[in-house]
Amino acid sequence: MASCVDRHRNTSTSDATREVVDEAGRRVQLPLHVDRIVSLAPNLTEIVFAVGAGDRLVGDTEYCDYPAQAKNVARIGDTMHPSIERIIALKPQVVLVSTASQLEAFTKQLDEQEIAVYVTNPRSLDEVFYSIKTLGDLFGQHDGTESIVADLRSRAAAVEVAMRSVKPVKVFYQVSGEPLYTIGREAYLTDLVRRAGGLSVTADVPGAFPRYSDEAALAARPEAIILPGGGSMGTANSTVAASLKNSPAALNNRVYRINDDHLSRPGPRLVDGLEEMARALHPEAFK
Amino acid sequence: MTPFLRTGGYASGARRSLANSEEGLDGKAEPYRTVLRRSREAVENTMNGEMQRTIGSGHATLLRTLLVCGVLLLLLVCILIVAALLGSQRLPLTSSLCALAGGSNCGLSSEQQAILFDLRLPRILLAGAVGMCLASAGAGYQALLRNPLAEPYLLGISNGAAVGTMIALVFFGAHEWSRPVMAFAGALLATLVVYQLARGRAGATPERLILAGVIVTTFLSSAIVFITTLMDATRIRSFTFWLLGDLSGTTTSLLAIAFIAAGVGVGILAMNARSLNLMMLGERDAFDLGVEVGRVRLTVFIAASLLVGASVASSGSVGYVGLVVPHLVRLSFGSDNRVVIAASALAGAAFVIVADTIARTIIAPRELPVGAITALIGAPLFIYLLKRG
Repeated sequence: MASCVDRHRNTSTSDATREVVDEAGRRVQLPLHVDRIVSLAPNLTEIVFAVGAGDRLVGDTEYCDYPAQAKNVARIGDTMHPSIERIIALKPQVVLVSTASQLEAFTKQLDEQEIAVYVTNPRSLDEVFYSIKTLGDLFGQHDGTESIVADLRSRAAAVEVAMRSVKPVKVFYQVSGEPLYTIGREAYLTDLVRRAGGLSVTADVPGAFPRYSDEAALAARPEAIILPGGGSMGTANSTVAASLKNSPAALNNRVYRINDDHLSRPGPRLVDGLEEMARALHPEAFK
Repeated sequence: MTPFLRTGGYASGARRSLANSEEGLDGKAEPYRTVLRRSREAVENTMNGEMQRTIGSGHATLLRTLLVCGVLLLLLVCILIVAALLGSQRLPLTSSLCALAGGSNCGLSSEQQAILFDLRLPRILLAGAVGMCLASAGAGYQALLRNPLAEPYLLGISNGAAVGTMIALVFFGAHEWSRPVMAFAGALLATLVVYQLARGRAGATPERLILAGVIVTTFLSSAIVFITTLMDATRIRSFTFWLLGDLSGTTTSLLAIAFIAAGVGVGILAMNARSLNLMMLGERDAFDLGVEVGRVRLTVFIAASLLVGASVASSGSVGYVGLVVPHLVRLSFGSDNRVVIAASALAGAAFVIVADTIARTIIAPRELPVGAITALIGAPLFIYLLKRG
């Protein structure tokens, strides 16, 4: 234990760091060898495990439940209310954050402790691949990550091929029913719906997850409704919003329930979500 | 118009009503008559022309109330129709008017029909019911507590109802009726606590009452934060929206509950309006004049809690309605509670319908919580009232 601390001290004084730019455009100083990571979001935890750096994850959130080993990592609170004391006590070299907005004050405190904060903020499937690849590189897992991302890309490409000849379906993505929330221009899910042979009727609405008008949703005449739910969502969001009961989608039984954990976590399993959505919207293309 | 915030505003209104109340006290014990005569002499000494006109028999007051309410009702219907024609989707004007008037073949598509009758109208009606509840409750609290700043949201009573609703959602989620019941219980409990906290030896001064409200509000806010941690992470966002007041997602049963509560609550308050007029002179004076002060207080607290509970259970905490509306009503029609309570109910309905129409349309097709709009209007008015006081 003592030697470990010594080694840590040596590396922090003598060892070189490198400067990287995170997805929020911030300059971040990272040690060349990162061996203590804290993740503040389930998708980041999934990425850390996927790139083979799971054994270096020393802290994650209450929501991190995949893969199973993620549940055995020390918990630092939840994504919105992380415990700064616990994080500092875990002595991480980098804390991974999924969006910068809520964590400004908190980032400052970590800066004072010389703990780097790296922000990811993907707005499309390609940017999710980019997040996975850069994190893999940062953790020295270049080769393994390369093949993981290549595999994910080829699965996404297969969906793209299958969707080439289909007619896009008008989709309403119901984030929550009452009140009605959906996906907007800045959500990576808008890109995902398009890749799955859909056309989000709210693709041009400003924001990532806007509160949406009931009547506008009905008037958009969605042909299909995506209901992300199940998984860690439990029974939440399991029924179509009352305002959409008479939409073409609901009347024609084209309401598709897809595991929310595959959609709401922009990580490796997002491609599962893409495949599930494409199969739901265009079963004919996969015969 | 007498500045409302000075005690003169209240007292003169009350004196005005006092004269009207004489017949109601007929047959009461002799000392009351003496007090009454003295009060009336005092009133007559300070009376101005405007008061002369308003003082009359009970019939005159009834007529005046009916007239004021008639005008407001007409205004309310106009606002309701305009609100029904506005929304994130543009509906054809003449066809919509035709459909609203009950026509069957007006040329609206089935979707437009659904937008108008299944989505917009229920929401507008709920806005109306919520406005009625909150404005009349505010008027009731203000008269009873002799405090122009008494308002369900500012006193923490809405928060009490919100905590009740959330407890119902977390523990009795399956039973829809548990929400309004628990909201009512929460509102009543918060009311009684604020009232006890505010009562000093010198009675409840406006400042003391607001301070008590702040304490109860912050305490209950932490309770709300605590309860949200017991909820699914996925539900928290909808709750933050709901806490700010949100009228979407109306169900028939919520609408029915809100209207029944509005009817019963406003009815009870109106029946106690005369006593409230006397209580504005001070509880001791009112007692001397034969008002059963304790009974009236409890009745008004229960009625107002019913009103606040029903509105919070169906739409969250819409703030400042109970402040803005009764104030404007008193500015326009004087302080006689027989007019103020009924007029506040109608004007409150109109106010919340207008606010929600703004919330629905201003950033369409996205939406704002209606509470953000009412607070935007209400908070500056609150500051203005404080400054003037």
